[in-house]
Amino acid sequence: MSLFEVQVMIENKAGMNDPEGDTILNDLVLKGHHGAVKKIRSAKMLKFQINSTTKQAAESAVKKICDDLRIYNPMVSKVTFSAKSI
Amino acid sequence: MSLQKEELDYLTKKIGREPNDTERHIVAAEWSEHCSYKSSKIHLKMLPTKGARVIHEKGYDSGVLDVGGGYVVTVHIESHNHPSAVEPYGGAATGVGGVIRDILSAGTRPIALLDGLRFGDIQKDSHAKWLFKNAVTGIADYGNCLGIPTVGGEVEFDKCYSNYALVDVASVGFGKKERLIKNHAKAGDVVVLMGGSTGRDGIGGAQFASDSLETEDRSAVQIPDPFIEKLIIEATLEARNQGLIKAIKDLGGGGLSCAISETADAMGVGIELDVTKVHTREPNMKPSEIMTSESQERMLVITDKKKLAKLQQICKKFRVSCSVIGKVTGNKIMKVTDNKNVLASMPAEIVANAPLLNRPSKQPAYLKQLENKRQPSQPKDLSKTILSLLASPNIASKIWVYGQYDHEVGIRTVVKPGSDAAVLRLDNGKYLSVKIDGNPKHCYLDPKNGAMGCFEEACRNVVCTGATPIGMVDHLQFGNPENPEIFWTFLESLKGITEFCKHFEIPCVGGKVSLYNETPHGPIKPTPLIGVLGLIDKTPLKPQKIELGDVLVMVGITKDELGGSEYYEYIHDFIGGRAPKINLAESKKNMDSVLKIIQNGHVKAAHDCAKGGLAIAVSELSMTSNVGCAISLDKVPKEKLDSAKLLFSESHSRYLLVVEKSKLHVVLSELKKKNVSHSEIGTFQGNEIIFSNKKKLVAKLRVDKAHEKWFNSLRDLVLHA
Repeated sequence: MSLFEVQVMIENKAGMNDPEGDTILNDLVLKGHHGAVKKIRSAKMLKFQINSTTKQAAESAVKKICDDLRIYNPMVSKVTFSAKSI
Repeated sequence: MSLQKEELDYLTKKIGREPNDTERHIVAAEWSEHCSYKSSKIHLKMLPTKGARVIHEKGYDSGVLDVGGGYVVTVHIESHNHPSAVEPYGGAATGVGGVIRDILSAGTRPIALLDGLRFGDIQKDSHAKWLFKNAVTGIADYGNCLGIPTVGGEVEFDKCYSNYALVDVASVGFGKKERLIKNHAKAGDVVVLMGGSTGRDGIGGAQFASDSLETEDRSAVQIPDPFIEKLIIEATLEARNQGLIKAIKDLGGGGLSCAISETADAMGVGIELDVTKVHTREPNMKPSEIMTSESQERMLVITDKKKLAKLQQICKKFRVSCSVIGKVTGNKIMKVTDNKNVLASMPAEIVANAPLLNRPSKQPAYLKQLENKRQPSQPKDLSKTILSLLASPNIASKIWVYGQYDHEVGIRTVVKPGSDAAVLRLDNGKYLSVKIDGNPKHCYLDPKNGAMGCFEEACRNVVCTGATPIGMVDHLQFGNPENPEIFWTFLESLKGITEFCKHFEIPCVGGKVSLYNETPHGPIKPTPLIGVLGLIDKTPLKPQKIELGDVLVMVGITKDELGGSEYYEYIHDFIGGRAPKINLAESKKNMDSVLKIIQNGHVKAAHDCAKGGLAIAVSELSMTSNVGCAISLDKVPKEKLDSAKLLFSESHSRYLLVVEKSKLHVVLSELKKKNVSHSEIGTFQGNEIIFSNKKKLVAKLRVDKAHEKWFNSLRDLVLHA
């Protein structure tokens, strides 16, 4: 057993509205004349520190927790899990 | 997402050729049950819609009532059931957004929101709890961001909504009569799309709402953006003030297809639209996707060519995107192009008017069986029964819900949530009382009387604030109408509402029909919801603190009508028996007399007897004033009934009046004069709620203990269970 950090990134599915990202783009970034920026999408990240045997096992254990506890709604959100040992 | 074969044949015949792919998509969206009302339209005509206060204009999405002094109120009700069942937060929030834009499109400012929420059994079903929690948060976040108070509503839990959600939203608007938008257009006017960008979200939503939820096609989820909505409200109202809007329509179910065809049809003009001009969120959207997308926070505006620049300026000021997407033509054709090619060209009248159906109906077999079921016997400890009813999710205080809503923003709210009905201050010195009510348990056993009962309950609630009912909206929610038994329950409810409207001369100023509300376990119980608006000319009855020695007078007869009561269903888990019926003559007599007494300022508080019956209504009075009471059940005006039935019967037309001793004779003589069944049933005293029958103790509860259960149990259930 060793300790892993599993990063869980939750964002609206592609094509769905993202008011937060739009607001940051229009009301902050573009107002500062950073015209090269074309799009901003917001996301939420959770970092789990979990004891596990492998990276894959850590990811799937966290995925199960997130699914069971309804930490995101699969109808709306895209979720990515990535683990690294710490 | 497709047309039925007969519909396709009908369309082909009407336009004289085979429709192309884009045309099929447009018509399929518009002819969905959700947009076309094809199952219900021929029957809805029975509702009386005219009245001295009612203002009709073509193309209005909300009801308009003249409240005097040059002012109007507008009202509308809608549901967002299917989207909320899969994404409660966004579904409920965008439901609020949709109904607000209907109020806006009459040219009035939305001033209040009410929500009717229904879910499965939250005590046993964690999914129902998840839906409930998130729907409430969605409504709170959206309404609070907009600065529109959520002033009332109702919450109910019933197994029939397992894995499903009913989220109904009503909104009230207020404005000057002279600023109402009178929808009209002529050839050469420009068509503008204002607000959020059009994306792939919510494509086929109207269709989706018209299908049962079995299909896994759940793309109809939308992300709410209250800040754009707020900007749209302000931009629209400013454009209204400057006279820049000739016609306006909210984009809801069916998206552009529906908005364009209905607007053109209502105005008797044609509209030519270029899909490449629509501001989209994603590249490469197909024309049929643009035409049927149900992306939120969008408005369709028709303006004069000369005024376009001013409108664009206002949109720029509020940073609301706006694109000129087409023009009004004189040929009554709805035409869609992609700049070069014609993609669709059909008479607007045909697109906007689906072939209507006259569906078969049949009385359901279950009704007789349920009425004759052996009824449960009286529990031994009635004090315990009252206590567990007070803590039951349907009866317990909904403070956890309305505590999350800003119900005072806008400083109009005079009577806040938690009382019978909410009261709002209007600018003409009058007050508006609003309430929505539903009762699927009664409606399941007796759809006609059940619906009339919901109507009366909403009326009773506004009457208890001293208001005269002036208009109503109905929201009829049922299962699959293709089932004749379900369709029968729809027709019966509609007949009941119509009868009540006519007897009380309350016009129906708006409403909505939502069918195909099916859960994995079958159809929902019939759930008609009635919203009533009442007007108070002088002073509203604000609930006053009840003092020791005040007397409780009961109006109305308690009958053997426990079918569908909380007592049967929650305590005994029993569905059956006879549901309460309305006697129209008695109902009107009681209501008129109570209203007169309240308006003359003779009572301290008035409360109607509804869910949970007399026992709960009395306890609520005691608990909110923190004072005990002693009630003699033998004095209650009644049919011959045992104590439990007297306590828990949910008979209609009953009111509780709290009267100061000094005014008692005035109240009693007034009731006697009008020949209303009534009686002095007890006094407020001590710190216990005591019910007795012929001097024998029936139930006894400490007020503070009862209050603690009633006040906290729903919150505890949601947060800690």
